[in-house]
Amino acid sequence: MVRTVIKASLAAFLYGAAFAAQAFNVFACEPEWAALTKALMPQASVFTATHHLQDPHHIEARPALIAQLRRANMAVCTGASLETGWLPMLQQRAGNPAVQEGRPGMFYAADFVELIDPYKGSVTPFSGDVHVEGNPHLHADPHRLLKVAQALRQRLSELQPDQASTIDARHRQFDASLRAKLVDLEKRAQAIRGKDVVGQHASLGYLWSWLGLRQVADLEPKPGMPPTPVHLEKTLMKLKAQPALAIVVASHQDPRAGKWLSAQLGTAVPFLILPATVTQEGEAAFFQWYEQLVNALVQSAR
Amino acid sequence: MKFRVVHFFSTIGLSAVIGASPLGAQTKSAAWEAGMVLDTAATSQALALGARDAGLGLGHSDLLVRGTVGALFSAEAIVGFHTADRKLEHHLENAWLQTRALPQGFQARLGRFASQVGYLNELHTHSDDFTERPLLNRGFFAGHWLGDGLRMNWTAPTPFYLRLGAEKFSSSSTLNLKVGNDWGPSHSWQWGLSGITNGKDTPVVDHDAAEGHHSHAAQYIGRRVWLTDFVWKWAPHGNNRNEQVRLMWEHAQVSRLHPNADPGMKNQSSSLGAVWRFQPAWEVGARSDWLRAHQAESSGGSVLFASGRLQENALMLAYKPSHQQTWRLQWTQQRARGANDEGEPIFSNPAKRSFQLQYVIGLGAHGAHSY
Repeated sequence: MVRTVIKASLAAFLYGAAFAAQAFNVFACEPEWAALTKALMPQASVFTATHHLQDPHHIEARPALIAQLRRANMAVCTGASLETGWLPMLQQRAGNPAVQEGRPGMFYAADFVELIDPYKGSVTPFSGDVHVEGNPHLHADPHRLLKVAQALRQRLSELQPDQASTIDARHRQFDASLRAKLVDLEKRAQAIRGKDVVGQHASLGYLWSWLGLRQVADLEPKPGMPPTPVHLEKTLMKLKAQPALAIVVASHQDPRAGKWLSAQLGTAVPFLILPATVTQEGEAAFFQWYEQLVNALVQSAR
Repeated sequence: MKFRVVHFFSTIGLSAVIGASPLGAQTKSAAWEAGMVLDTAATSQALALGARDAGLGLGHSDLLVRGTVGALFSAEAIVGFHTADRKLEHHLENAWLQTRALPQGFQARLGRFASQVGYLNELHTHSDDFTERPLLNRGFFAGHWLGDGLRMNWTAPTPFYLRLGAEKFSSSSTLNLKVGNDWGPSHSWQWGLSGITNGKDTPVVDHDAAEGHHSHAAQYIGRRVWLTDFVWKWAPHGNNRNEQVRLMWEHAQVSRLHPNADPGMKNQSSSLGAVWRFQPAWEVGARSDWLRAHQAESSGGSVLFASGRLQENALMLAYKPSHQQTWRLQWTQQRARGANDEGEPIFSNPAKRSFQLQYVIGLGAHGAHSY
């Protein structure tokens, strides 16, 4: 029994050593960072810890994730406490020095941009899941995404100096093509500028600020707290008095509250379920996602 | 000495807390964070081998500080406190230093900590799904198997999770294997196998001693323990926020109870629990436990053994409005059999029916939970 265990461990050890020598392994906490890493460094082997149907606040430190972080040369995450319920446990369990706090292999996107809505009140157990640093869902603003891309380019080049010139070239291309796309999207979004929307959680807060929309109501009574009947009733009264452009929930959120509210209001306020992050891989993922968001909102105005 | 360690940690902790985020700072430099968990419960009837008295009481609560010490170590200290027999008791539960820069997946931990044997033992009780730990943990480990010692772990660089670990405590040592992975997008699992070599025999009950004494000692332990545990979780698309099913099974066998005992004499216990999160804030759960144990009693200079069996079933409903709060209503039923030569039952006061209303609140840093 003991001998079998030792043999199996040795085999696993050698297998792992051989594997680690081959590729530059990146552990991306969310799909947007996987897509960005792939856009800048297509040759990297990228593992995505979550997808668009999962709430990134509520991920468990599953064995499969520990195993992936153990093999990573670098981790690319959001930070600003978004992953606070699971990433520290993964770091503690993985035993991988490369991705510990403060190491160049641990990249947090939120360190390179200014966050909106930092929580200024005093935090009590009844405040809900507030983020004092500000809203962490920053990738929904493409201008902030471009800043993160710049920082990630630099970090990738530091970690893989022999690849620096190709990473640079990929970054220039990504930056230029996304900027060109934004000119078109922003022109189309002029039609809905200044309009009101209803959201669930602050998941798309940066989208509103980018497109000049105002979130006038949140289906959550407090951040992270599921919608309650009393709160929904209040929101309904508010919307009856002042109709909004749309009720928008993210694909990973429970749609029942939004659906109910929309049914009460009739066809006046469309109900949209939109992904809170990219649903595809690589560079094209961002073009497709921003296009989908802007398109859905502009369509609602008709 | 113990006090001084706590004092050291709390000084660092408090100075860092001022600047730390309540959800745990997770920016460029990880700050120190501090937090407190209060666990209160009203219990209609105390359970046999239970940790809660009848009436209103403070369950397993704690004060904690944790953070990093340079680039090489992380540290944690926890002072636990609870009420027992209407008195407040406290003890240093955790005070350890762990490496975070050893190469090749190796990790070492030094200090006081809960052993990683089994599934629940190393987890904090405030994230438990039921108001009391399973009979296995209560009967064999007095809640927690913990001590002052050294741990060495190795995590394999495999595409699935594989960890080998060894711990050396002052009077026991453990070996532990953990394997786990995802199974498709919606399922995940973990299996564990552990062994403990313990330096002490099963405690002998003095027949003439007064009963009802509150004890922290592990009652039905022996010199050798084997444990195996399996956890399976399911959530649609792995999105456990809205819905999740968790299944937890743990089994333990204690042997080499006492030099006077028959070598084939064993204590055994099993626990099977299932929890369903059916709404983002609501969970229901059921758990069934049994424990078969031998009680060693001294009688006229010799040690006699009597066996008993305790069965426990529990149903619970939990409401978790946010990360920081849990309300739980639980119904628990116990059945006992077995008596010694004089006809005295081994488990003297099984609860026919016990209701518990529990409220857990976390203040400050709540930290990340393990699987």
